[in-house]
Amino acid sequence: MAWQNPNGLVQAMHSIRQAAPLRPVLQRSVISRSPIWSSSTTTSLPKNLNGKRTYATEETPTSFTAAPPLDFKDPRIRPARLVPASPSYFSGNPKFIDHLLNLEGILAANANLPTVENSQAPRMAWLKLPQFRDFVGEQVPTKKYKGLLKILQRLNRIDPELMPENVGRTIKQFVRPGNPYANKPAPATVDEMGRARGRGKRKSSSAVAFLVEGDGEVRVNGKTLVEAFPRVHDRESATWALRSTSRLDKYNVWAQVQGGGTTGQAEAITLAVARALLVHEPALKPALRKAGVITVDARRVERKKPGHVKARKMPTWVKR
Amino acid sequence: MVSSFCWSCLTRLPTASPRPMLPPTLTAQRVAAFHTSSPLLAMPPKKKAPGQQQGPKHRTATTFKMKKRKVTDRVRPPPVGERRALRKRIVLSNPNALEVADMQDISAENMVDSRLRGSILGLPVPMLDQLRAVQAFKPKQGWSIFRRPGTVTRRETVELGRLIDGISDKPEDKSKVVKRIVTGPRGIGKTVHLLQAMSMAFTKEWVVVTVPECQDLVLANTSYAPHSEKNPNVYVQNQATAALLSRTVTANQKVLSKLKVSREHPALKSPLKRDTTLEALANIGIQDPASAWPVFQALWTELTATSPAPGFEKDFASRPPMLVAVDGLAHWMKETKYRTAKYELIHAHDLVFVQHFLSLLKPGNQQSVLPNGGILLYATSASNSPSIYSLDVALERVAARQNRVYPSSPDYPMPTAFSHPDERVLAAFESSKSSVPTEGTLTLQTLAGITREEARGFMEYFARSGLLRQQVSEEWVNEKWTLAGGGVIGELEKLGRRLTVPVQV
Repeated sequence: MAWQNPNGLVQAMHSIRQAAPLRPVLQRSVISRSPIWSSSTTTSLPKNLNGKRTYATEETPTSFTAAPPLDFKDPRIRPARLVPASPSYFSGNPKFIDHLLNLEGILAANANLPTVENSQAPRMAWLKLPQFRDFVGEQVPTKKYKGLLKILQRLNRIDPELMPENVGRTIKQFVRPGNPYANKPAPATVDEMGRARGRGKRKSSSAVAFLVEGDGEVRVNGKTLVEAFPRVHDRESATWALRSTSRLDKYNVWAQVQGGGTTGQAEAITLAVARALLVHEPALKPALRKAGVITVDARRVERKKPGHVKARKMPTWVKR
Repeated sequence: MVSSFCWSCLTRLPTASPRPMLPPTLTAQRVAAFHTSSPLLAMPPKKKAPGQQQGPKHRTATTFKMKKRKVTDRVRPPPVGERRALRKRIVLSNPNALEVADMQDISAENMVDSRLRGSILGLPVPMLDQLRAVQAFKPKQGWSIFRRPGTVTRRETVELGRLIDGISDKPEDKSKVVKRIVTGPRGIGKTVHLLQAMSMAFTKEWVVVTVPECQDLVLANTSYAPHSEKNPNVYVQNQATAALLSRTVTANQKVLSKLKVSREHPALKSPLKRDTTLEALANIGIQDPASAWPVFQALWTELTATSPAPGFEKDFASRPPMLVAVDGLAHWMKETKYRTAKYELIHAHDLVFVQHFLSLLKPGNQQSVLPNGGILLYATSASNSPSIYSLDVALERVAARQNRVYPSSPDYPMPTAFSHPDERVLAAFESSKSSVPTEGTLTLQTLAGITREEARGFMEYFARSGLLRQQVSEEWVNEKWTLAGGGVIGELEKLGRRLTVPVQV
């Protein structure tokens, strides 16, 4: 048999899948009940399915049986060859493949369940690759693990209302202990004076902005926008969060900013104002993300290195 | 070979005993340098491809040749004053801009009309020469982007128009004197506020006396001399005074040519005829700058005269109100660049010219400083102004007195301890209540940004002049208003003149 050949994981996987009865499941649009291949037709595969990706199912009994445990009391009984408990025993990563096959089987069994959007599904902290390697005790390649994660995510997208109990239990194996996404900070609220507070950083500058409903007055460190930023571009970027959502004449901004240069200060205010605006109107998040004021630019000045003139610059060569 | 000891610190001097001679090595030796400085970490440059670095090519001279330096023709420098003229040039019209159809000119009727707030009032063409003469326009004000000069009518403008109208025409406001210091942040429209006042004053046929740039008097650019034998510590600037007379005469010729002298002026060198007009009087000072200061004093006496001296009754006509506009006041509040005979710096308050204009801020002696009524508008500058602490305190005090916080109050602004304020500056703005009821006390007018409605009118003017190819909507104006720091009109102009092509959707 093919899986006896320890040549490679791919071949082994291929042969394992071929040995099992198959049916196409991953096409999400296909909801109609596809005829399940009966177990009696295992030996001969239809030619048209050879090229497609197929999955093993749980419903079919495996075509092999493990050898009975060795009875060492009677030394005469010795089997001609040991049959391992897992069919993927001779592949490179038998435990990983067992998990994979198990998940694929579960997916195939529940492929018809309705799913929800990615954003609606509960956020899960899947095991990181090194953690997973510890978990299975095998050197799993990155790409293979990514494939496994895809199946996990697909299973996670099953409507939480209809999630079968065994699926949830299986998925939970692959979640990091103490789900870090489980506890969220309490959302910020507008205080009793109607102010929303936001903080932002860019380059070396950090800004705190207070946003109240108003008519478009802006104060930066007690100065007007013109006095704080002589350059029009900086004024535009400081007010960009409000401008892009056409809220510029609906709020007053009072900002404190320190550190860094003019551009950094202006863009720190952008970020702070955007976060304060989210406190007032959380529904603006997609619009603000599109405007580019949600994503933080975490770049900072690269440090100078010894032997270099600056961070990367090398000194010019002199002969002596 | 690189020496292996440090030349600067001589750490490893060679020993006195002669070193044993070593046989010269055939291969190049790499010697570890004493200092491990960063240049040594640098990569050596790549060697050029062989063939390029060989010596002189065939048929080239091998002797050293001195290169002759090229003698370039010196470009003639521009004639004297040309570059200055170019720098100070004022362009008031742009033929490429569109004519705005229903634009009104400023006139006696519409300068009091509050319905015109936010609209642009043009300056009448005949008045432009007068305004140029008093140097009301400044070079960097952006008059050159529109078809013809015009100003935004804002709240303060209407208020000023009503004031000028009242002093000219209303009997209850007759001979009223208003003294104001105009301040505000940069680009807020202080100088244009003065210009609007001048244009209204010209409409009402007032006499306009201006000092367009205070800095010119203290930069040591014009001649100066001790005033007289009696008081040698006061200095007179004849050229500057002659220029002031020239400005005043050119701008107010229509008014001054109608007025005749009303008394003798013994300070003048030659006695005047009885029917000398004030224009002729001023021309004496323009033609002979040495007598400019006495002539200016004579002219001032004539303009502030309320009644003729005996014998001069025949030709006496009542004098019109006056507008005195001074721009860039802070330069007058410090030491000038002039020197005394002992080579000490002269304080600006020792210049007789400056003294005269600052004395107008004080209440007049027995009669008001402008007995025929008028307005004093002294503007500070935010872009070209020395920072003078005493002036800041003095202006705070003016504002405090305006808000009924008097020197006896503990809230009255005081200079901080050990700040050594200039007492003369503080004293210049101390003005008590005048005994003359028509004479107002000194007030501080702080200009702020224009309102959204006014900003909208201003931006529409840009659009109608063809400078702005954009739909001027409420939202767009509000955005620009915020970006301009709350309606700072200079900033709004910058935003409006930035040519932006609207996005085609």
